[in-house]
Amino acid sequence: MSKKDTYDMFEMDGDMEKKKKKKKVNKKEKMEGMKKEIDIDDHEITIDELEMRYNTSVTKGLTSTFAAQVFERDGPNELKPPKGTPEYVKFARQLAGGLQCLMWVAACICSIAFGIEFAKGNVNCFDNLYLAVVLIAVVVVTGCFGYYQEFKSTNIIASFKNLVPQQAVVIRDGQKNVINAYQLVVGDMVEIKGGDGIPADIRIITSQACKVDNSSLTGESEPQSRTPECTHENPLETKNIAFFSTTCMEGIATGMIISTGDRTIIGRIATLASGVGNEKTPIAIEIEHFVDIIAGLAIFFGFTFFVVAMFIGYAFLEAMIFFMAIVVAYVPEGLLATVTVCLSLTAKRLARKNCVVKNLEAVETLGSTSVICSDKTGTLTQNRMTVAHLWFDNHVHAADTTEDQSGKSFDQSSETWRSLARVATLCNRATFRPDQEGLPIPKRLVVGDASETALLKFTELSVGNVMDYRDRFKKAVEVPFNSTNKFQLSIHELDDPLDLRYLLVMKGAPERILERCSTILIKGQELPLDEQWSEAFQTAYMDLGGLGERVLGFCHLYLSEKEVPRGYRFDADEMNFPTSGLCFAGLISMIDPPRATVPGAVMKCRTAGIRVVMVTGDHPITARAIAANVGIITEGSETVEDIAQRKRIPVEQVNKRDARACVISGGQLKDMSSEELDEALRNHPEMVFARTSPQQKLIIVESCQRLGSIVAVTGDGVNDSPALKKADIGVAMGIAGSDAAKNAADMILLDDNFASIVTGVEQGRLIFDNLKKSIAYTLTKNIPELTPYLIYITCSVPLPLGCITILFIELATDIYPSVSLAYEKAESDIMNLKPRNPRRDRLVNESLAVYSYFQIGAIQSFAGFTDYFAAMAQEGWYPLVCIGLRAHWENIHFQDMQDSYGQEWTFNQRLYQQFTCYTVFFVSIEICQISDVLIRKTRRLSVFTQGFFRNKVLVSAIVFQLLLGNLLCYCPGMPNIFNFMPIRVQWWFVPVPYGILIFVYDEIRKLGVRRHPGSWWDQELYY
Amino acid sequence: MAKDGDNGWKEYVWNPRTREFLGRTASSWGLILLFYLVFYIFLAGMFCLTMYVMLQTLDDHKPKWQDRLSTPGMVIRPKGDEYYQITYNTQKTESWDMYAQTLDKFLSPYNNTAQVEKNNVCKPDEYFQQEDSGEVKNNPKRSCQFNRTILDECSGITDRYYGYQEGKPCIIIKLNRVIGMLPGKDGQAPFVTCGAKKEDTEKIGELQYFPPNGTFNLMYYPYYGKKAQVNYSQPLVAVKFLNITTNEDVNIECRINANNIPTGSERDKWAGRVSFKLRINTI
Repeated sequence: MSKKDTYDMFEMDGDMEKKKKKKKVNKKEKMEGMKKEIDIDDHEITIDELEMRYNTSVTKGLTSTFAAQVFERDGPNELKPPKGTPEYVKFARQLAGGLQCLMWVAACICSIAFGIEFAKGNVNCFDNLYLAVVLIAVVVVTGCFGYYQEFKSTNIIASFKNLVPQQAVVIRDGQKNVINAYQLVVGDMVEIKGGDGIPADIRIITSQACKVDNSSLTGESEPQSRTPECTHENPLETKNIAFFSTTCMEGIATGMIISTGDRTIIGRIATLASGVGNEKTPIAIEIEHFVDIIAGLAIFFGFTFFVVAMFIGYAFLEAMIFFMAIVVAYVPEGLLATVTVCLSLTAKRLARKNCVVKNLEAVETLGSTSVICSDKTGTLTQNRMTVAHLWFDNHVHAADTTEDQSGKSFDQSSETWRSLARVATLCNRATFRPDQEGLPIPKRLVVGDASETALLKFTELSVGNVMDYRDRFKKAVEVPFNSTNKFQLSIHELDDPLDLRYLLVMKGAPERILERCSTILIKGQELPLDEQWSEAFQTAYMDLGGLGERVLGFCHLYLSEKEVPRGYRFDADEMNFPTSGLCFAGLISMIDPPRATVPGAVMKCRTAGIRVVMVTGDHPITARAIAANVGIITEGSETVEDIAQRKRIPVEQVNKRDARACVISGGQLKDMSSEELDEALRNHPEMVFARTSPQQKLIIVESCQRLGSIVAVTGDGVNDSPALKKADIGVAMGIAGSDAAKNAADMILLDDNFASIVTGVEQGRLIFDNLKKSIAYTLTKNIPELTPYLIYITCSVPLPLGCITILFIELATDIYPSVSLAYEKAESDIMNLKPRNPRRDRLVNESLAVYSYFQIGAIQSFAGFTDYFAAMAQEGWYPLVCIGLRAHWENIHFQDMQDSYGQEWTFNQRLYQQFTCYTVFFVSIEICQISDVLIRKTRRLSVFTQGFFRNKVLVSAIVFQLLLGNLLCYCPGMPNIFNFMPIRVQWWFVPVPYGILIFVYDEIRKLGVRRHPGSWWDQELYY
Repeated sequence: MAKDGDNGWKEYVWNPRTREFLGRTASSWGLILLFYLVFYIFLAGMFCLTMYVMLQTLDDHKPKWQDRLSTPGMVIRPKGDEYYQITYNTQKTESWDMYAQTLDKFLSPYNNTAQVEKNNVCKPDEYFQQEDSGEVKNNPKRSCQFNRTILDECSGITDRYYGYQEGKPCIIIKLNRVIGMLPGKDGQAPFVTCGAKKEDTEKIGELQYFPPNGTFNLMYYPYYGKKAQVNYSQPLVAVKFLNITTNEDVNIECRINANNIPTGSERDKWAGRVSFKLRINTI
């Protein structure tokens, strides 16, 4: 086949693909496609076929011209940044919420009214314009506030971006060049060496001891070796593909690029992540739900009274203004700001505890979480190999695996231990980086692979100064580890200058080590390695392996002085020294241990009714061991396999419901339908998913969501990012987390500590409770704001409360108290309750609204009207006179209107009297709201139990509210600017009885609720 | 789906299975309505109680506070149209006739016969105080006569068209009633002065006040309220424009002059002053 033909064919393929894509109009279908496993065969075919497919040569690489053509076709080798929403759209969205739209309508009506009046030549109509401007200002300012919050969180993400351009060594036209990685194309031959980032998905052609760190992609904590052989049909499992964005840890390799940019595995994951729709947070759903109700009711009320007003005989324009006023009175303008402030307060509190919240609403989501899908590596575990167990003297000894070495150590008095420690110390190439004396040993940086690092740290901790120790045993020769002999050995001089023997130390795969041993060290005695010891070894090996630990065997041999005299020329390649008949010292096993805080945190989650599911890319055995270790699988819980083994019956005969625990691997998951997965999740409370691919993580999250759970996902790797995005709340690790994970997450744990999630849950639950209180407080006053208009329209009394005054209540005096409720302590131990049921436990439920509106709100209205009629009567207008007074009262040209005493009033005098009424009504609402904020401190407990002054912020909020109220009333100039009049001091006290009534009534309510749980009283009056 | 939702909605309104209307059974509705009935009766009761207590604190004859009325308002008669504009044509009777009628009607209670019948002759130039002696109310209180004849040429007796026909119209000014107000200190009676606004000073011509000097005699004060002083006759001042420029708008402002009445705020154009526009067409 000629070059041109292949090229054409490829072109056609590309075209066909494009057509296919076009056909997938349905986005969902496309997403489903993405969720399927990656389906390529580039790793299975021979190199010749590969060369043909990509029109390249293993030795010479691509020709520059063809590379340019491919570059033209495929575009640069980089991940396309996800399409961001333009800033102006984000801002516009802030201005176009349900309530905001209503406010716009109100503002429009105001301006229209102004326009008509102004055109009529009425110069006294600037009030309407004024109100329109204020309304627009309110919307814009709240919008800016929300936008700023969002902007701030986007900035956090931007700072994570890594902008260093990557370089790669590429062979083109038979020559090696260093080019920028984004110029690479499919078919390019590249060279990689230890420390390089892999520039694209590469099929390995040649390799020498090449190891890559795939942890960010698959979650495996150990570096994986890369070889030219295809070892698995799954491209993610096979050893001859190295993936874009992973790092080569050691060795060198050459390979052919098989995909670039967004077509790489990581690119697909990234597209998958950005393709996953951002789920609406539960609190957003709640707020939307209730904003819809409020907006609906506002329109309903407004329209009803518009019709009523028209029916009574008001002019159309007047009726429109009534509509507007009712909307202004009924809509809680300050509510969204209150919610935002409350959430950001909690976010701040969480930030102090090392949880950074990117999306404010996510604060609450954690509180309603019912399932946490946690990644293992780096989240539950420390992501560093650590010595966990030792086997010597025919005993398994547990080592201290805590991060700060606070655990218990084992008995180190045995002679065998000394020998084992010596072997472990000497047969180790890892070294500490210099200048780290100040750091605790576990935190020090080490040059060397994971298990050698673990051993180095372990010996440094137990033996002490390893470097010095090694210096005393001068090394004569060493044979490094390789995959064929599977051991590592070194030969040392002894530290005793009189003893001229050499010491051979060896470590490696236990079975290989055992083969070479003829004796075993027991309590310092060298005993012949007979059947009995062999069996003991096998049992220990199996036990440790069953714990998911990586086991190494250690042995040594004193070389006889005769055979190997001092100065003997050792040859590492020939191995001209004895390598069998050694003395077995012991086994050391290592694991990536769980973080110390995790078991406690998992326990707390369990008491809080939250299920913790482990979803990891690591092997099932390891996963299960860690799960058991941290309490995800509790003691005594069995899997189906365990039961089968215990009862000695086949797996099929076990009743699946008997098994509490279940470990499912990616392979099994692949063959399960979504119904089966749901079934498994429902039947087994303790679940572990191992060897899962990013797509499968997504499927698991979806399955949990299908079952009605609110799902939190924690993770750090790129492989977690789609699941993080899909989850109701994604939690990424701040230190270990990859940028992709951080980008997809809603929350970042700065200290990578799983236990911080528990704090988050607690804060989330608390804020839900407190938001409920805040909203109840905020909603209450809408009734005393609304009733004046209703009475005004229906009974034609002089207007008791003006729109501007309402806005002052909503946006000035009542904001601080409603926010202060966010500082309220929990009423009960919220961490012992089940997570809320998102369908049943709403933020704003019927009883909350009814109680606020028709009971407390009603009392407040009566208080306002009492004060209003008092102020009117004491100035000369009896209550009964007020009714039906409106038409004359508002006649600008009526300058000698008689009051109840026969005094005559000008229009302006009446207007100031009306402002006095506004102020008096305002003061009544304020006084009642003080009582209201006190009762809202608790929903069930008595306020006396909760403590009046324990919430200092609330106390200061009340003081602030009173001061601000006084300022508004008595600051000179207020009457003409904001329609506040300096009122008589007596009128402040008229609503006090109603305030006391509110307090007493609510205490009675709470008493009833506490005394008679489940009773009619409880059902109707508990919110 | 939509049908489902429809059913759900219908079921919410009336669920035949559980016999629930809007999510509640009859007994549940009964209970909750009873609860609210009791609740609101209690609230209304409390409202009535507080209102009753409040009303008890009120005096029948004098409002508790008179914060808004420190500067009494002033008004003119005839009022003209809404904008305090008096425009008429001397040639067209129908254009001024209504003004005369308005004044006739306004002045009829001031007829001497009526005044003599109801009111007393008081001692002029001093306040007509009728204090209560402690608990014993001195009610009903007597009022002083304000005879229509005091207005002389503007009384409508000598000239039943109040000078409108000749282009020498009368405007009657009154000071709003405020209970207990004692205008003028040291025996000096308050008086009304009228003048033109800046650009119209040339046009206003000569003015004549009735009673002379445009005073409100002190004997008409204080006012004791419509309950105690049923027949109170508000004192009036008439202004006659003797040779006002015709066929042009003339803006006129009258104000009260009393040494103890504060000048009202700039915003209230009718407190202690009154302005109006006068236009007499002759063509």
